Amino acid sequence: MYNEKCEVIENKSVAPRHFVLKFRSKKIAKSVKPGQFVQILCGENSFDPFLARPFSYLSARGPEFSVLYHVVGKGTELMSKLKKGNRVAVLGPLGNGFTMSSELGVRSSEIKILVGGGVGIPPLYHFAETELISKITKKENIYVFLGARNKSLLLCEKEFKRLGVNLSVATDDGSKGPKGFVTALLASFLRTPNSELRTSIFACGPTPMLKAVSNIASEFGVTCEVSVEVPMACGFGACLGCAIKVKTDANYRFAIACVEGPVFEGSKIIWE
Amino acid sequence: MGVDLSVQIGRLKLKNPVLVASGTFGHAKEFEGFFDLKKLGGIVTKTITLKPRLGNPPPRVVETPAGMLNAIGLQNPGVEKFIEEKLPYLRKLGVPVIVSAMGYSVEEFVKVVERLSKAGGIDGFELNLSCPNVAYAVQQAGQSATKASADSSAGAARMFAHDDKMIEEVVSAVRQVTDKTLIAKLGPDVSDISKMASAAERAGADAVSLINTFIAMVIDVRSRKPVLGNKTGGLSGPCIRPIAVRMTWETAKKVKIPVIGMGGIMNADHALEFLIAGASAVQVGTANFMNPSASIEVLGGIEAFMKKENVRTMKELVGSVKG
Repeated sequence: MYNEKCEVIENKSVAPRHFVLKFRSKKIAKSVKPGQFVQILCGENSFDPFLARPFSYLSARGPEFSVLYHVVGKGTELMSKLKKGNRVAVLGPLGNGFTMSSELGVRSSEIKILVGGGVGIPPLYHFAETELISKITKKENIYVFLGARNKSLLLCEKEFKRLGVNLSVATDDGSKGPKGFVTALLASFLRTPNSELRTSIFACGPTPMLKAVSNIASEFGVTCEVSVEVPMACGFGACLGCAIKVKTDANYRFAIACVEGPVFEGSKIIWE
Repeated sequence: MGVDLSVQIGRLKLKNPVLVASGTFGHAKEFEGFFDLKKLGGIVTKTITLKPRLGNPPPRVVETPAGMLNAIGLQNPGVEKFIEEKLPYLRKLGVPVIVSAMGYSVEEFVKVVERLSKAGGIDGFELNLSCPNVAYAVQQAGQSATKASADSSAGAARMFAHDDKMIEEVVSAVRQVTDKTLIAKLGPDVSDISKMASAAERAGADAVSLINTFIAMVIDVRSRKPVLGNKTGGLSGPCIRPIAVRMTWETAKKVKIPVIGMGGIMNADHALEFLIAGASAVQVGTANFMNPSASIEVLGGIEAFMKKENVRTMKELVGSVKG
């Protein structure tokens, strides 16, 4: 975990009001796990916006890392104006990240199902790319399900195609793929037995989507990791602001999403 | 020319006047990778209560103009687990450790401080009399306060720091059980905070620290619901700083014990305002969230200011406001 003024290399629009921001930083790009995140601070001296904003990594390679963000408020509006050469305070890498094949000690390929919605898609791209680099998971065993409001917001679609993984999409307006939620695609995929291999789901997106994915996973008895987004202040466990209700043996407790998460077993979360 | 940054707070000599505020620095380990913690004047821990607390339901934080609201609800492992899991690390740091302690009644305050004193290795206590995010039923002075229901809605929230008689009662009771430096942390939602500081002084507090957060609220106009799970929360950040400086100035004129000032300190200039207004030391709080090294940068800036302005000791600086 490092606190560094990182240099902007590129800030490029990739979809309406969506940008990829690329930084140079040896420290913050090093030893990153997919699903981990950075805190980016804009308005450092004006205190406006006041808090840093959390973003999942889209990629982290060599001395560079990038995030893909959606312009929704003052902080991201300022980010969209960043130019090559600007320096920004960044904190990272933060959080736990997804469980990767390389950590499981498995040598043969397993089925990895990735379910992403909207701006939750980037960390799943990072996941797929990292799995393929590790050469444990075969590209034909990665199934990606992406959902968005319309086809112009299907983030990373081209990039997934380039990886050669199985890709299915759904949009709210039917402008690409079937009209409706990505979770319907997931359920019908799981209903069709296709492999004897161990299967796990990795999801990131809006909370209702994560809840639905988690329920579908339990229904089919498949392990499922979800990356949650909750209001957050510090990002490294100091403020205890980013609480999320999780099950305990006896009852429940509030887990701190920035250090215990943002990736949780879907079945552990008490969805409200 | 070197400058002497040391300050005396009660029975405790601090090598410099920069501490970190309770609830913004975890139990210090969260910050170990960012800078050498030994350089701090002191560390004030997250508040510890007798029993573990789960904390408030989310959302717990929301940003406001130049500030934020929090309603964490004193999530903490309780005094026994704190002693077992957090204190050994703090003791080894070589930095004065001030444990923030809180109880729902005078008796509970005493029990927490007694238990912590027995554990040893603690340099001082800051009594959290002013958390805005938990419910207590503080009754009239003289009667014992009883624990409130678990519902910490705004209506039930009352705190020791709102009543000078209650401050006096709880500080005197704790004073009986510890010889360590005892600091009373006061809340700003009162008509005259210096009166509350005087009550703490009369009761034997070695210092007062102020201010805690303001009780505040943000509403989502579309849902017409409060944004925070607890409905209300504590407002902190630079938006409260001018009020905090004024309260520090008023209090420092009134009491003889040291005042530890805080409220929205983001950089050394902000900290210097408090010191010049009369604070003997400062605590850096919310700034730790967006810049984990904020406290040490504040310290560096104070030292640089003193060298530049030819101020050799903290005595020359503290309360040097003109006019």
